[in-house]
Amino acid sequence: MSIQGDTKEKIDDLSSPLFFVDRPWITIVWDDPVNLMSYVTYVFMSVFEYTKERAEELMLKVHNEGKAVVSSGRREEMERDVQRLHEFGLWATLQRDDQ
Amino acid sequence: MSNESGFTRHGKNSFVATFGKSERDVLINLSEQLIEILAERIDGQATDPLEAMVGFTGQDSPPDDEVLLRLLPNAYADPVDSSEFRRYTESVLREKKRIHALAIRSHLLNSEKHEVALDQESAQAWLGAMNDIRLALGVRLGVDSASHEQLELLAPDDPMRGVYAVFTWLGWLQGTLVDALMNDVEG
Repeated sequence: MSIQGDTKEKIDDLSSPLFFVDRPWITIVWDDPVNLMSYVTYVFMSVFEYTKERAEELMLKVHNEGKAVVSSGRREEMERDVQRLHEFGLWATLQRDDQ
Repeated sequence: MSNESGFTRHGKNSFVATFGKSERDVLINLSEQLIEILAERIDGQATDPLEAMVGFTGQDSPPDDEVLLRLLPNAYADPVDSSEFRRYTESVLREKKRIHALAIRSHLLNSEKHEVALDQESAQAWLGAMNDIRLALGVRLGVDSASHEQLELLAPDDPMRGVYAVFTWLGWLQGTLVDALMNDVEG
């Protein structure tokens, strides 16, 4: 049986970042004195398909606060994100969301 | 050094830069060094033949070398989780990075009049490799602890002065490619 249009939309809804309860793992990017600010923004846009505004906001958070949570979800998904970020040379780790 | 504009976008899917001879030589040399340090590690445990057969190197300890550790960082703060992750992913990451560096090398070796034209995909490979080279140089320069002001004041005969000049130039070049690509992403 295939998932019908309506149901599919609801499923997509449930996986939105608002539902942190269902997304107990997080990917963190740490500040690095070498990576260019524009490059970090670009990486967030191409890895996560974030808008430029969202990507810039996250980049600035990394820059000013030393780190930022850039994605959340199932552990396997976060491992994939970390792997992609490492390919681009960003300093990323994943952990259980302990908040 | 004769490249004054860095990368510029030509149409939808072409990013062009012309290099001076010394720029080209430096970039080829650095790419080759990167390819070399990314070759399979010989430290740590021997590879389990069965795991090697299915593509795992079995390498699960963090690299001893500081540069390699920055290029292949730990994914978890917890050492056990980190080892497990590294065991199944490090050789893939290493190979991706090697392919990126090989892209720079082959584009420059095959360029006519030192001009390279990259499509979206090769541009990403270049970005990744330029960034890896800068990360490696950054570790050697101690960019973590030394400020850029300190590095700019290096004595003329300090061998690190040349390294810092290349580091700065490469940052600029990478920036021009990011800007060119970013317009594309937005457009």
